[in-house]
Amino acid sequence: MHERPCGTYDVRYEQTISMAVLRTPFHKIMLAFFLLFLFTVPPFTFSIYILSVINVIGIWIIVVHGLNLLTGYCGQINIGQAAFMMVGAYASAILNTKFGFSFWICLPLAGLITGLVGLIFGLPSLRIKGFYIAMSTLAAQYVLPWVIIHLPELTEGIFGCPADSPTIGGFVFDNERKWFYLIMVFAILMTFFARNLVRSKIGRAFVAIRDNDLAAEIMGINIFRYKVLAFFLSSVFAGVGGALMVHYMGVAQYEHYTLLDSIWFLGMLIIGGMGSVPGVIFGVIFLKGLNEIVLAFSPFIAHVFPSLAETVAAAIGPIVFGVVIVLFLVFEPRGLAHSWETLKASMRIWPFPH
Amino acid sequence: MILFSQLMMTGIMMGGVYGLMAVGIILIVKSTGVFNFAHGAIVVFGAFIFWSFLVQMGLPFWVCVILLFLWAIVLGFLVERLVLRPLIGQPLLAAVMATIALGEILNGVVVLLWPGPGRVYRPPFLPSGAFHIGEITFPYNQVACFAFCMVALIIFALFFRFTRTGLAMRGASEDHQLARSLGIKVERIFRLSWIIAVATAAVGGIIAASFMSVDPGLDGLGLYAFPAVIFGGMESIVGGVVGGISVGVLQNLGGGYLDRFVGGGIKEIAPYIIMLLILIIKPHGLFGYERIERV
Repeated sequence: MHERPCGTYDVRYEQTISMAVLRTPFHKIMLAFFLLFLFTVPPFTFSIYILSVINVIGIWIIVVHGLNLLTGYCGQINIGQAAFMMVGAYASAILNTKFGFSFWICLPLAGLITGLVGLIFGLPSLRIKGFYIAMSTLAAQYVLPWVIIHLPELTEGIFGCPADSPTIGGFVFDNERKWFYLIMVFAILMTFFARNLVRSKIGRAFVAIRDNDLAAEIMGINIFRYKVLAFFLSSVFAGVGGALMVHYMGVAQYEHYTLLDSIWFLGMLIIGGMGSVPGVIFGVIFLKGLNEIVLAFSPFIAHVFPSLAETVAAAIGPIVFGVVIVLFLVFEPRGLAHSWETLKASMRIWPFPH
Repeated sequence: MILFSQLMMTGIMMGGVYGLMAVGIILIVKSTGVFNFAHGAIVVFGAFIFWSFLVQMGLPFWVCVILLFLWAIVLGFLVERLVLRPLIGQPLLAAVMATIALGEILNGVVVLLWPGPGRVYRPPFLPSGAFHIGEITFPYNQVACFAFCMVALIIFALFFRFTRTGLAMRGASEDHQLARSLGIKVERIFRLSWIIAVATAAVGGIIAASFMSVDPGLDGLGLYAFPAVIFGGMESIVGGVVGGISVGVLQNLGGGYLDRFVGGGIKEIAPYIIMLLILIIKPHGLFGYERIERV
């Protein structure tokens, strides 16, 4: 990340490493080609099923960006991101169905509402840190669904709250291909938002708090303010992701946002590499892809071991997930983002070893 | 008044089980500094494996107990060696995530080996029936379980207080480096803690399964132990017991008195609401060390 091809020098302050997202013309060309590829090839070549997987990946990328801000950059472990996503989903669905707002108003409002709810669960961070914060977010994972089930006038309780498909003029986002464009636009916007946030004053304050909170406080960073801000921003991302998810699926169901999902988000963050924006994207794609491969292979395993047939699909997923996480923690704790940097560096200096 | 006493009784009995779970978690926190999120999964695994020995294979009770302890030794050893040892010196999240991943693996293994719905069994080694004091019912099996929990906890307390290994474990929990320089084999202590914790979890699972059923839902018990741990403080065995019983009592009282006002479900979330309040008001719990630490 800090190396570049020979002969490329920073001549203006804005170009320096921490200031610029796109530093060289090569970066800009690559990005343009990538976007062109993304918006033309997948929607017309991939099957509807693969598109639906990609759509979920896009939404999860937004949610895990939020988790990355809080856990990866600010160092506060959050085992309740799915619960905050659920708040966003229900907020958007309720605003849409009960109050008749359109998707384009519901989405930002849902992000804001989720941010405020996340802020409440961030308040204990005034007095506690590290592991105890994880406990407070774990409580969110149990308390929030309970609240939603017990407000049936608003949320329809266990039946789930319906939500409309978004429209622009007369254009309705009602199939996977149209949703692909909408979700990718949001995923790219939120990725840029996250990328810009972490290289701003706020992002640097987060990193300072993560690395040493005492030192950060001595340098004049208001720790409590920034921790609560991290909770707020993280939940805003979760809320936007949840709002997209609910309009995409058409109904808000509290059963879709469980502790297991929260754990998966953390796993994606670990695999991708904490405190890295590209890492989030790698992690989500890797884990979701792995899960799809496992699902595709489980009929085959069931065929080879007929005695296990009925249970393989339910059992293999968690086992593979757990094993992959442990392997990453032991062998590549800095995640795929670090592998990617190593690979890039070795490509650049090939055929020399160093 | 009868309702109150009955709820208290049920709460205390359930709290004994939570206390036993909490002690398993505290044991690992005390010696290795890792909070074990896989405890619930180990509880389920232990309950299933005991059920399998006893009912599926039809082995005699004492053989089952010996096999269970052998299993605890093997699992504890593997967990410490393969998952936790490589992570010494890594940040907190790595250890937390490793135990969560371990829990997922164990859950998957349980689903793979014992598919389908839970198994109801009445353990032959526990008496059935109930006795009454006044209007309050005391089922024999719950009382026996509670008594067993208390005996186990007293043995733990004595072990930590009076044995050489217990002293070494307390020393290792204070400072790994210092303990090592005094000639304590810290790796051995870690291994021992995990083995004891796995055995505790399994015993808790077997006891809880005797008045619920053997199914993956026992996982939730391990999760209810977290509020107990936070309530009592992370470093105290006594705290774990007090926390467990308090959580059990508050949960049952809440369920008994508040359910009709809010439409049910208080029992499931009361422990977590208690935990949130404790975290805000007194984060170190009743018996935890208040380390001088500004946040």
